[in-house]
Amino acid sequence: MLETKDLTKRFKSKTAVNQVNLYLEKGESVGLLGPNGAGKSTTISMVATLLPPTSGKVRFNNTDAWKNPQALRQVLGVVPQEIALYEELSAYENMKFFGKVYGLKGKLLEKRIEEVLDLIGLTERKKDAVRTYSGGMKRRINIGVTLLHEPEILIMDEPTVGIDPQSRNYILDMIRELNRSRGITVLYTSHYMEEVEKLCDRVYIMDHGEIIASGTNDELKSILSNEETIHITVQTHSLSFEEKLSQLPAVTQVSEEEQGYKVIASKGENLLEDIFELSRQTQTKITGVSLQTPSLEDVFLHLTGRTLRD
Amino acid sequence: MWTVFKLQWIRLFKQPTLLITFLGMTLVFVYFLAGAQGEQTITIPTFSETLSQEEQSDWLDRLNEEETFEFIESDYETVYEDIRMNERAFALGLEEDRYQFLIGREDMEISTLIQYVNQIYSEEQRLEQVSESFGIGEINVGSYILVETTGRTEAASSNEIYRMAVVVGMSLYFSVYSILYLMTNLVEEKQTGTWQRLIFSPLTKTRLYAGQLLHYMLVGVLQITLALLILRYLVGIEFGTNYLEIGVIIICFVFAIVSLGMLLMGLVGSPQQLQVVIPIVATSMAMLGGAFWPLEVVSNRILLFLAELMPIKYGIQGMMGAVLQDRTLSQLLEPIGALILTGIILMGVGINLMERVSENQSI
Repeated sequence: MLETKDLTKRFKSKTAVNQVNLYLEKGESVGLLGPNGAGKSTTISMVATLLPPTSGKVRFNNTDAWKNPQALRQVLGVVPQEIALYEELSAYENMKFFGKVYGLKGKLLEKRIEEVLDLIGLTERKKDAVRTYSGGMKRRINIGVTLLHEPEILIMDEPTVGIDPQSRNYILDMIRELNRSRGITVLYTSHYMEEVEKLCDRVYIMDHGEIIASGTNDELKSILSNEETIHITVQTHSLSFEEKLSQLPAVTQVSEEEQGYKVIASKGENLLEDIFELSRQTQTKITGVSLQTPSLEDVFLHLTGRTLRD
Repeated sequence: MWTVFKLQWIRLFKQPTLLITFLGMTLVFVYFLAGAQGEQTITIPTFSETLSQEEQSDWLDRLNEEETFEFIESDYETVYEDIRMNERAFALGLEEDRYQFLIGREDMEISTLIQYVNQIYSEEQRLEQVSESFGIGEINVGSYILVETTGRTEAASSNEIYRMAVVVGMSLYFSVYSILYLMTNLVEEKQTGTWQRLIFSPLTKTRLYAGQLLHYMLVGVLQITLALLILRYLVGIEFGTNYLEIGVIIICFVFAIVSLGMLLMGLVGSPQQLQVVIPIVATSMAMLGGAFWPLEVVSNRILLFLAELMPIKYGIQGMMGAVLQDRTLSQLLEPIGALILTGIILMGVGINLMERVSENQSI
């Protein structure tokens, strides 16, 4: 349905996106996971025909989307990272304006506004100026405006940034509902791996402007099938303990966490004895040890040596 | 296009403070700078060492037919002393067939005064020649001389010119502020992402720009028109009857300023920077273009050259021409052409710059 071929964007000497190839099938939910500055927003700006690529192609239904952007724009809904609304206007006024821009009018427009307000749970507050809304409500109306013209493809750029867990769950449930019940194709970018894991059928992992891995959640996690994640909680962090941990032959990755360390090591090796021995040597008091199945976060750490929030 | 145009009006009505403020400032400044001057007359002491009391009185009656200047009788010693003590700038010496001015210091009224006195003396001399040639004792001027008025300037006093310059200058100056500040909405829209959201829509960029720019133009035209109407009906300032010419000049001026706005929006990336740049641009343009003082008092060639580049100069020139000199559209082609040309050039460069900036902006 929508695909990119060697999509590249350079800003002067800096290459923001380098030869990105991705595709979306109808009704799929695809995640684009990567840390801030990975090139996710630039990629989707090119896919959405906002930003012209330096080279490469965006193809929509086997035609060059950049040659006829209107064809794609008619069926596209883009939820930007910012609250892209007129905050002095009410939710209703914003919806009416954006609906008209997409050619809706009269009773159909009113009907769609009612439906979307109901979907995002803002019917009660529709007459209030957007500036008076909470962060979560603004995020919901930001999405709602995009749904008015019933897009076939929804591109969402980190739509849950900076909101409380309750609002985040509401939004994620809403997106899942749109994808599964209404068959809307979703391209979802985030640096929250839990969101992508929860929502997406397939995931592209991006770093430094390049796709470094792709596949279903399980396929990606299988990268770490021979490894396991150990969380060590310590009373106080110790540099020498961390250094010695990383020198253990079975350990492939050590990263510092708030209350300890995350260790990725080869499966089947009995590391616990070595870990406790090292803690004795470095006089680091261990308060807890837990084993965990790998997450996409671990996959990213494994591939890049950094966490998603670095 | 109309959806975007209408939206801008809804937004303006929700936050009308900016427009009301600048309209109010136009009226306040005009009132204090021009309104306070009222219909002030200038008193000119006269003296004569050759004319009799009666002849001098006849001349004074003739000279006082116009209300702009008030000629009063005095004597040489008194006026000489007043001028020497710098209490008066000048005085008029009357003789039978000529006149002389005693001038102590330069004054902006002198040239108008000389023109006026010269006109009266010339008329009197012509009448006398006719009277002598035909042996007629007294001539009724109205019956024999067709006075053809080609413009108001000949009749307009320097005070009137100054007053009109303030009215026009301030009206245009504050409209520049309103237009440019309103146009920061464009940059804000790019920053908040609503612009990008509209780019994703089926709306073409041409329609998007047209809807926005038409709104800013209409706001500018309305502000100037409203200011002139209020000044006409509440303060009593006359603008003549050349409504078409005045309207065309206002539209062309606003077009040039909207284009200047596009250039600024293209050059300056953030609304915060624009808050600083706009007053600098508006004020320096008004100073150089003659909105604060007449360009006639400027002698520096560089400043005069820079004035030629300022749209406000042509706005003032056109408006003054239409109001004070009864100029028609064909006689106002120079300022109209300059404003349109400036507008087209600035708009072209501005849109290109804005688009270049947009090309580097993602979601």
